[in-house]
Amino acid sequence: MSKTSQISNNEKFNVSLVFFIITTCQVGVGIHGFQRLITQQAKQDAWISVILSFLFAHIAVFFMVKTLQLYQTKDLYEIHEDLYGKYVGTLFNFLYIFYYAFAFFVVLRNYIEVIVTWVFPGLSQGFIGITILLTVIYAFTGGFRVLVGIAFFSFFSIIWIPFLLWFPLEFAHYNHLSPVLATDLASIVKGAYTMTFTIVGFEILYFIYPFIKERKKAEKFAHLGLLATLLLYLFIMLVSIVYFSEKQLERTIWATLTLFSVVRLPFIERVEIITICIWLVILLPNLCFFMWAAYRGASRIIKIKPRAFLSIFFVIMYVGILLVQSRYQINHMNNFFSQWAFIIVFIYPFLLYIFAKTKKSIKNRVKNH
Amino acid sequence: MFGMNKKKQQTKITEQKKQQTDNLPQDFTISSSNEKFIQHIKQKIHSPSDLICKVISDEIRIIYLTHLVDGKSLKEDILKTLEGQDDWTPRTIFEKLPIPEMESSSNFKTCIQEILKGGVLIHVEGFSEVVIAKITTYQTRSLTAPENESQVVGSQIGFNESLPTNVSIVRRYITNPNLCNEQFTIGKHTNTSLSLLYIHGIASEDQVNTVRQRIQDLDINDLIDSANLAELIEDSSSSIFPQLLLTERPDRFCDGLLSGKLGIVVNGSSMAIVSPYSFFEFFQSREDQNLRWPIGTFVRLLRFIAIFIAIFATPMYVATLTFHYDVIPQPLIIPLSESRAIVPFPPVMEALLMELTIELLREAGARLPTKVGQTIGIVGGIVLGTAAVDAGLTSNVLIIIMALSALASFTTPNYVMGNSIRVVRFPIMIFAGFWGYYGLMLAFCIILIHLLRQSSLGAPYLAPFYPPRWKDWPNSIIRLPLPLIKRQPTNTAREESNNALINRSGGLRGEKVKE
Repeated sequence: MSKTSQISNNEKFNVSLVFFIITTCQVGVGIHGFQRLITQQAKQDAWISVILSFLFAHIAVFFMVKTLQLYQTKDLYEIHEDLYGKYVGTLFNFLYIFYYAFAFFVVLRNYIEVIVTWVFPGLSQGFIGITILLTVIYAFTGGFRVLVGIAFFSFFSIIWIPFLLWFPLEFAHYNHLSPVLATDLASIVKGAYTMTFTIVGFEILYFIYPFIKERKKAEKFAHLGLLATLLLYLFIMLVSIVYFSEKQLERTIWATLTLFSVVRLPFIERVEIITICIWLVILLPNLCFFMWAAYRGASRIIKIKPRAFLSIFFVIMYVGILLVQSRYQINHMNNFFSQWAFIIVFIYPFLLYIFAKTKKSIKNRVKNH
Repeated sequence: MFGMNKKKQQTKITEQKKQQTDNLPQDFTISSSNEKFIQHIKQKIHSPSDLICKVISDEIRIIYLTHLVDGKSLKEDILKTLEGQDDWTPRTIFEKLPIPEMESSSNFKTCIQEILKGGVLIHVEGFSEVVIAKITTYQTRSLTAPENESQVVGSQIGFNESLPTNVSIVRRYITNPNLCNEQFTIGKHTNTSLSLLYIHGIASEDQVNTVRQRIQDLDINDLIDSANLAELIEDSSSSIFPQLLLTERPDRFCDGLLSGKLGIVVNGSSMAIVSPYSFFEFFQSREDQNLRWPIGTFVRLLRFIAIFIAIFATPMYVATLTFHYDVIPQPLIIPLSESRAIVPFPPVMEALLMELTIELLREAGARLPTKVGQTIGIVGGIVLGTAAVDAGLTSNVLIIIMALSALASFTTPNYVMGNSIRVVRFPIMIFAGFWGYYGLMLAFCIILIHLLRQSSLGAPYLAPFYPPRWKDWPNSIIRLPLPLIKRQPTNTAREESNNALINRSGGLRGEKVKE
């Protein structure tokens, strides 16, 4: 049972990098257009929903770290096996593998949709999928250190976003924000719930935790990472609210990209085309870590070699891209994913912690007697 | 028929050789008889015409290869001394000859080695021991300014092709008892000697062991240049980027040693190897340190911008003009479309054509004698450039962008890395030509991943940026004032060492500073 996979010191990474991993795994495709769904619920108080959703995220991370601290060197897959026994544990692991494969696909499919809509109407979707998949596989075969490195550099392709969004502020109507708290609390909470799609990604902490060098400090950096994402999302949300009218915002699918298209630099127009392409770097850690997490699980359940796993994964994703074609299907998929993600990311960690804690204390009691 | 003849001949030759080798002493001992010894030596090195055997007296013979030894020393020190006295024994010769470097050996193999290196063998009848006087001399280039890595402010001395000279230059820069020098001889056919230099206490023991191991494990026939050695011992020789620095600047070399890196000097090569070297260090020049720090900082930042211009300027042009016209602001699109209106090729063809021309010019300039080289500049730059635009084969704007990126790529202070940067642009250009900005970013991602996968002597290639060594950041991006440079870069530092590079009270680099 206790086949804890040994992690060599070489693979472990500095605790401060947790910050980058958390942030870059959160920022993905959701940020392109999360404003619409939230505004539909929370109107001009959408920004409060954003803050609220991050409050939940902080709580979730708190419980995640507590659970992980109970086991120290184990990741979630190992915890599952330890907690539920071999068979039920495998079932749970399987759910997580499926979740990560699904998350990978959601990110990939949404990005392809954005590229095809905004940049290259003519480019084959299958082709974009293959190139991205091959790039991710190239990174994946480089080992865990490479993945962390990608997350690190990817962070620097995120930080320019707020600066670019100063431009739309020129046309801001700050009275869009008032009256504050005009929406009832239920709608704001509902708005926070719709943030799920955009906010998830930080649950990767469950899997990178054993790789961290000084685990005690990990919690601090995880929270800091969440905070950085919060600031980014909050800023984008506020800019969207003051720039768009309420009706406009409810109808704009990719509000962030529309905001980019307002930017006019002396030597570049249509900045959004460039930003969408740069988004590839921002997505890369998402894809890499999701694939890696799925592989970790798969290699635990069946002794699968990386090459076999990658081939199967590649084929499934490619077929998926060919199957999910219309905008309607993508929306449907996103909704389904966020419902599922809500349970896995926000509710399950809490339950898991309680379960793990009770089991531990019972064990201790038995030992003491 | 002929075949058979050949076979017969071959067997004859092998038989002859067998006989010859049979005559040679099997146990590497030296015959005590003068004549026999000389005969053995002649057989072993196939009696070359420059082999000289001199009879000094009835008992003493000296043997050497004439072009390798210092004639003056031979005449005045060896011959005069030996002729002035009788009844020599190897022991007395060894003690009395006024030669600084001598060896006494009873091993035949050593004798062969030494005579090939320019030693004079002194054999005394009746003794199976030979005295070797090492008065080797050969013409070397005098120390000139390094031509490939020139700099304005700073020392103007470059390595030459002689190992002893190069080591002596390093010793002159670093007068330190901890400067270690380990000699190796590799190459079955060439027996090339090389020196592994590092400063004990500053260099990491692990890395020294790794390099030593890698050199000792080499099983090669010949080694002509240090670049070959670098390729053989680096972590990933299939990468497009060099992982070890090849430099002809002693000051850059010593800088490396002082910050805990290891240096390798190979005999016959004017380029010394410094390792481990990180990607970003390739873009730092020794001159940054010699300039005043704000100017050094400016130059360093300029160089970082130059990398991006060099790699991405032409692909950006290609991508923009092929797919993303809408990115160009209106005032700019008129001159652009005017200059491109009569060009018959798609932008990617146009760019590849012109970039190839520039590469041709560079290659021609490097191969041609210096006197003709200037003509190449005129023919290539002026005639080809303007004529191509006039003929409508390329646009003005592309010429400007290309010249800019060519200039930018030449700012790399290291020629090898500069070449990598220049070559890596071609696939990016093709990517950009096919898939626009998306292809460009894809290529960027692949390069980023590739760089992340590399390591130099086990140390991360993208250090100090990743893994982040925050304390090394300031001095990697800008050039800090010397008093502020506190620590040795972590990439090479040993875990426990806290070496201060410099402190205000005038302490030397590497001195431990009490805190």
